Amino acid sequence: MMCEEAMIDRDDYAKRVRKERKNRIMIEINFDKISSSIDSNHEEDITRDLKYLSTTHFELPPNSKPGEFLDQVWDHPNAPKPIEMAHGTTTLAFVFNGGVIVAVDSKSTQGSYVASRTVKKVIEITPNLLGTMAGGAADCSFWERELGRRCRLYELRNKELISVAAASKILANIVYSYKGYGLSMGTMITGWDKTGPCLYYVDNDGTRLKGQRFSVGSGSTYAYGVLDSGYKPDLTDQEAQELGRRAVYHATHRDAMSGGFINVYHVKETGWVKISSDDCFKLYQKYYNVKPINDNNNNA
Amino acid sequence: MAYNGGAVIVMTGKNCVAIATDLRFGIQHQTVSNNHPKVYRINDKCFIGISGLVTDAQTLYQKLVFRHNLYKLREERDMTPQVLSNLVGNMLYEKRFGPYFTEPVICGLDTQDKPFISGMDLIGASVYTEDFLLVGTMTPAMYGLCETLYKKDMNEDELFETVSQCMLSSIERDAMSGWGAEVTIITPAKTYKKKLLARQD
Amino acid sequence: MENLNRGGFTFDLCKRNDLIEKTGLKMKGFLKTGTTIVGVVYKDGVVLGADTRATEGPIVADKNCEKIHYIADNIYCCGAGTAADTENTTNLISSKLKLHQLATGKQPRVITALTMLKQMLFKYQGHVSAALILGGVDVIGGVVTPSLFTIHPHGSTDQLPYVTMGSGSLAAMAIFEAFYKKDMTKLEAMTLVADAIKSGIFNDLGSGSNVDVTVISQEGVEIHRGYEKPNERKYRSNPYNFKKGTAPVLSTSTLEPLGSRIIIEDVTMEG
Repeated sequence: MMCEEAMIDRDDYAKRVRKERKNRIMIEINFDKISSSIDSNHEEDITRDLKYLSTTHFELPPNSKPGEFLDQVWDHPNAPKPIEMAHGTTTLAFVFNGGVIVAVDSKSTQGSYVASRTVKKVIEITPNLLGTMAGGAADCSFWERELGRRCRLYELRNKELISVAAASKILANIVYSYKGYGLSMGTMITGWDKTGPCLYYVDNDGTRLKGQRFSVGSGSTYAYGVLDSGYKPDLTDQEAQELGRRAVYHATHRDAMSGGFINVYHVKETGWVKISSDDCFKLYQKYYNVKPINDNNNNA
Repeated sequence: MAYNGGAVIVMTGKNCVAIATDLRFGIQHQTVSNNHPKVYRINDKCFIGISGLVTDAQTLYQKLVFRHNLYKLREERDMTPQVLSNLVGNMLYEKRFGPYFTEPVICGLDTQDKPFISGMDLIGASVYTEDFLLVGTMTPAMYGLCETLYKKDMNEDELFETVSQCMLSSIERDAMSGWGAEVTIITPAKTYKKKLLARQD
Repeated sequence: MENLNRGGFTFDLCKRNDLIEKTGLKMKGFLKTGTTIVGVVYKDGVVLGADTRATEGPIVADKNCEKIHYIADNIYCCGAGTAADTENTTNLISSKLKLHQLATGKQPRVITALTMLKQMLFKYQGHVSAALILGGVDVIGGVVTPSLFTIHPHGSTDQLPYVTMGSGSLAAMAIFEAFYKKDMTKLEAMTLVADAIKSGIFNDLGSGSNVDVTVISQEGVEIHRGYEKPNERKYRSNPYNFKKGTAPVLSTSTLEPLGSRIIIEDVTMEG
């Protein structure tokens, strides 16, 4: 009997507490406040955004140089192993008369372990802007998502698309404000704006470069070899797409840390289009006409 | 030693043994060759697979051939895999305090055509088993796979398929090895080698 | 030619290896026997016991290795530490003892083996990392004396009625401290040894698999390989079967018999 009574009491108590909690939430959400903040004017927005740029958004170690501080922590003999970030990559992008071609691999490695062969290394920032991922996967995807948010806000406020120059500069400014904190990213921002097809290289040092051809990552030197030898501005769309694919393919062959699938994007005047996603294994069999001699039933 | 990369698996079947190797030769992340088997033939029924630092693997192999030739001149017969295993073990232990960076596996058929496999660490501590052994840059992933796929008393065809699956699947997850694979099957009647189709990235 | 059979260690690669390691390349770890090894003296002799796990870092490299090594017909030795060291040290002393036996024409004594082992290990100042339990029976003038020693890697030794060594030594010693008694029968001693090893197998990550037991008495030696198997592996009832032709083959070639030819070839890099 005692036991049952106690059970009933406990249920009652739980019910009461839940009800109280619900009431409290209802009170705390003040809809007036929210609507007033929407009314604030344009200039205030811009100044607030500028302030936002100069503030830090992460919890940081209580040290003037958190990057160096972390290095010291990892150096300690008893320190746990830092998480190895995805480093090996081949990404490339180039401008030609028909727009911009972006081609990337999709392998992600931790040390010599292949963590994934199906990583998306092209980041679709907006329907008109593409970014690529090399270095820290988290850094790239987080900040390029943030860049997408800011570009969309720009679009809503100014009733026109942001230029590639401006977008890449926003990203460069962000990473520059975190210089020395240990961000790791090597990225290319591409798009088609009023000035035509456009390509910028931005990295974690704050470097921002405009150019015709870029390749980033551990396989970039191999990719440059193919890209530079096959490039001319008046390539047809198909030739250009195949050049990008070939360049990344040969890089994945030589570079142990690149591979998987090759994703090709084409930035046109109307926005970007995803052209293809090919398995390197299939491409190898196609390019060199390699076929097994046995009646192989799994890999046919 | 993850300088050159590589993977070797040996596995026993019923009256047969298989030794599989990947074909990559790399210098750290750069793939230099995709036609570099790590398996060497010592005599008709005895093979050695050497993973690790390729310069040491080649030196070790050359010394082995030399010792094997001397053995044949003196004994007028081939070394059995057991003898070869002891020889390699002693050669490695001699360099206990300055070792070759290699891990060999030895496989073959003995005088009664019974399968023999053995492996050792870089200073010659031998491991003798009756099922399979593996060495290379991706051993943690490979062990589980071989434990799952191995079964006792396989015939040469089953053995080939099993060892091929083990090799192909383990190089899928290792960035430092792969770029093709090669399986050698040793049976009392004949010895043959099959090249496998594998990823080139 | 003399160079080939000179014996002893060579140090010609030490400098090169130091340089290689300075470039940041890591040498692979040695094969270790994490190990629980024990020995106990009973009424008529000595019982030695060992687990059968060998590890390479976190990997179990050998699930059923032999850690009780032959020294002489009346002397055996359990080894813990670096596998290559225990194997080769006991082999070497076994050979030396055999020569000693042939020279003197007498059965070798345990104390002789002990002295040879400790002198060798002391000479190498702990760099040969072998931790040993030496057990055997001497028959001197019709009097049977069982003896049991531990030898540490630096060359120090102990003589005790019950001993344990290796990473599982604490777990095993707990059993001995609780249940050891004087003048046990053979069966009592074997059971105690097996319990001590099992304590190591189950409580120490470096030890595992089976229990090996060796009994040495005046009557001779009993070797129980796999005296207990508390960790037998279960296999799946329907194994994976791959259809013939599953693996994609590019080419097949037959390797012709070499016959008795002597191979002289260069190692060349193809492709």
